[in-house]
Amino acid sequence: MKNPPIVSLRGVHKYYGNYHALRGIDLDIGAGEFFSLLGPSGCGKTTLLRTIAGFEDPSDGVLLLDGKDMAHVPANRRPTNMVFQSYAIFPHLTVAENVAFGLRRRSDLDRSAKQKMVEESLEMVGLGGYGGRAAHALSGGQRQRVALARALILHPKVLLLDEPLSALDKKLREQMQNELRRLQRHVGITFILVTHDQEEALIMSDRIAVMFEGEIAQLADPQTLYRRPVTRRVADFIGVMNFLPAKVDGRTLEIAGLGRAEVQPDQAPSGMPSGSGHIGIRPETMSVLFEGEKTPVRVADGKVVELAYYGDMTYYQVLLDGTESPVTVSMKNLVGRKVLERGDRARISWDERSLVVFP
Amino acid sequence: MAMSRLARSEAARGLLMVSPPALYALLLLAVPLAAILAFSFWSQDFLTIDFTPTLKNYREAFSEPLYMQLMLRSVLIAGSVTLATVILAFPIAYFVSFHVPPHRKSLWIFLITIPFWTSYLIRVFLWKVILGYNGVLNTTLQGLGITDEPLTFILYNANAVVITLAHAFAPFAILPIFVSLEKIDRSLLEASRDLGENHVMTFLRVTLPLAVPGIVAAVLIVFIPTIGDYVTPRLVGGPDGLMIANMIQTQFLKLNNAPMGAALAVIAMSIVTLIALFFLFLNRKYLRGRS
Amino acid sequence: MKGGGLLRGYALLYLLFLYAPIILLPIFAFNSSTIIAFPLSEFTTQWFREIPNTPALVESVKTSLIIAVSTALLSTVLGICAARAGAKYRFPGKAPILGFIMLPLVLPEIIVAVSMLVVLLALGLPLGHWTVILGHTLICTPFCIAILNSAFANLDASLEEAAYDLGETAWSTFRLITLPLVMPGIVSALLISFTISLDEFIIAFFLTGTEPTLPVYLWGQLRFPQKIPVVMALGTILVAMSVTLLTFAEFMRRRGIAKAGRKDTGGFL
Repeated sequence: MKNPPIVSLRGVHKYYGNYHALRGIDLDIGAGEFFSLLGPSGCGKTTLLRTIAGFEDPSDGVLLLDGKDMAHVPANRRPTNMVFQSYAIFPHLTVAENVAFGLRRRSDLDRSAKQKMVEESLEMVGLGGYGGRAAHALSGGQRQRVALARALILHPKVLLLDEPLSALDKKLREQMQNELRRLQRHVGITFILVTHDQEEALIMSDRIAVMFEGEIAQLADPQTLYRRPVTRRVADFIGVMNFLPAKVDGRTLEIAGLGRAEVQPDQAPSGMPSGSGHIGIRPETMSVLFEGEKTPVRVADGKVVELAYYGDMTYYQVLLDGTESPVTVSMKNLVGRKVLERGDRARISWDERSLVVFP
Repeated sequence: MAMSRLARSEAARGLLMVSPPALYALLLLAVPLAAILAFSFWSQDFLTIDFTPTLKNYREAFSEPLYMQLMLRSVLIAGSVTLATVILAFPIAYFVSFHVPPHRKSLWIFLITIPFWTSYLIRVFLWKVILGYNGVLNTTLQGLGITDEPLTFILYNANAVVITLAHAFAPFAILPIFVSLEKIDRSLLEASRDLGENHVMTFLRVTLPLAVPGIVAAVLIVFIPTIGDYVTPRLVGGPDGLMIANMIQTQFLKLNNAPMGAALAVIAMSIVTLIALFFLFLNRKYLRGRS
Repeated sequence: MKGGGLLRGYALLYLLFLYAPIILLPIFAFNSSTIIAFPLSEFTTQWFREIPNTPALVESVKTSLIIAVSTALLSTVLGICAARAGAKYRFPGKAPILGFIMLPLVLPEIIVAVSMLVVLLALGLPLGHWTVILGHTLICTPFCIAILNSAFANLDASLEEAAYDLGETAWSTFRLITLPLVMPGIVSALLISFTISLDEFIIAFFLTGTEPTLPVYLWGQLRFPQKIPVVMALGTILVAMSVTLLTFAEFMRRRGIAKAGRKDTGGFL
């Protein structure tokens, strides 16, 4: 976080009866950041977002927005605006009336000024000229844009987005991911995005908080999160990771199926275990060696037990000699590279610098 | 008021919001029902009420053949009405749900509900006109040469009550069955066909069982009001078609014996409740057996 | 599909059965004979002309209108409270409380009528318009709730949150968002409770004071054959009015569905 925090949470808890939805959240989100709350459903990410918006009251703890305590500030007085999962486009109003909705109370603006703001807002989200349309005649992607324009026209300090892309199909989702990122850079407002899609979070965010069971498991930028997950659970949630048991002696590891390796302290983000532990290794950091290729330093042998052909990639399940469950190895299907078959012997190359050590 | 504060006291807000209709029902339904119950244990001598608790009214109700006969007849007539109404209604609900194109369905439902919203009293009276000795039905049948003499078994008896009530409560039976049929996933029927069953067996093994909750709702929603109906027995029932509601009315307004009327009302209510509970139990057991 | 033709034939016969009395109504209303039977005599509008010249009937229509309008307003307001509470809030005892409010729907009307009568007489309160209004409101409220429930349940909670998030207060959110979106439901609830009250007989019969409602008046007239053609004429007018009101209610309901951008599922009640 480069800038001073615009959102600060200290020891925030939320109970619903006996259910403990948020378990002591401490979090600072910087001004102008694109921040994501990532986690499986029921992890508390939406509750956290709604707490910031003011739709939920924390049972305990403090929430500061722009340095001000929000304890007694209702949602309609907070400098935040929200893009709802369902978009919540008012069906009885036109597109322009929807976008102008929050300007109703702005007595300092005259009619034409408001109209101009609405047009600019719609222009910004790529809906110039759509003002007169009926809200219920819009497509999913258009609704999303109206919801964005309606929230951004009020220049909130923080824009909250509750799974805004989950209702869109794959193509449109990818397009909107780029547009949202671009829009955020353009307006410079802090965006807080709730998502369960790790890829989406990695693509769009400056920083990501991974949440499980009402707690933040890891808070990091996308690269750190991917390369140095602090727990096996985070590692498993972000992309694919292979886990192998290992004997640990100082910084020297004896890994089942792979053999001996030396690691640096930063490769064990939650501390170097002593005695026994696990290593994690990403499928794309290993390769299947083909005949005639130069033999690198680290190799291991095994058998292809299953494979999945994706067109651009092939995912092999390789059972390394001396291990019981296979590891996944992904290979780009480059020109001239042949695809192995089930039952083939395979020699795997790997690099000790890509290992992550877990207790 | 702040929504954050609303959320904190959601239960209080909900109770506050529901309290006007709840208090209304409490004052105008719970209190009167309790009063009826109390009355049924009192007795009346001309115009003075004796507040000593007594089972006299109930003893009389169960020993006087007229009361028991009326009660039994009410149950039988309401039962026949329910049976006739539901059996006649099912094919209509089925037709609208399975054979009418989706955009025309609400038109059909609308057409079915329209007659229900026109003066009940006049409708019942018109059935008297239709079923009467010189009525529409008899003149038509004789005019067409189907019968030589007017049919007499269709007015001023229980048959007339059944026909008239089956008409009056038709939409009440059609709507719940229609709703339950609409909920059936059409691919289930295709799956049944795919697994080798023909149309009839698919209907019996898939459609009908899935429509049971709707049928039970229809049975209850027809049976409960018909057992207490007053107008139809009086207008088309003749002396053999009178039902318990007519006796309750007589006790209250003509004989000035409110406690006796109250006891009859309590007994009628208990019978309705017992039968309703029986059907609900059947429905629940059936649903549990399935899941 | 097979069997469709047979079913369609049955459906048409069934509709004939449903509409038989209503088709007969205008036939006898325009028939000059005082005996309500076939064959018909001559065409006349005499019975319609007699309606305004029957003061007791005009009075009963007025009484019924006052009662029906009051009942519609009262039961719709109560219905809004219950439907809103049911759709928006979780609170202890919710299911039993709402179930109890819906109870009159499954209670024979004669029971409601006599039990209220007993209490009113015991308290020594005079019967009048207001006692009928109280009784009618009790039985109309569940119908209003049934209609309004779907209107409130179809309302996406995030619409209200969005308005609030955009700076509106709880009250202005209700006025700007909730009310316009459930308005079609409110209009149908008003119309249907009005229609039920206008037509209700048993409760009115027991609880009416010295001024009878229209159905109670009609009940009295059905005993006098010479008065029946006028009743038929009045019935014709009532049917025409009911159909108009209901068509309007259905139109509002459909518009409500279209407004909310939803598909019509066809349920009228």
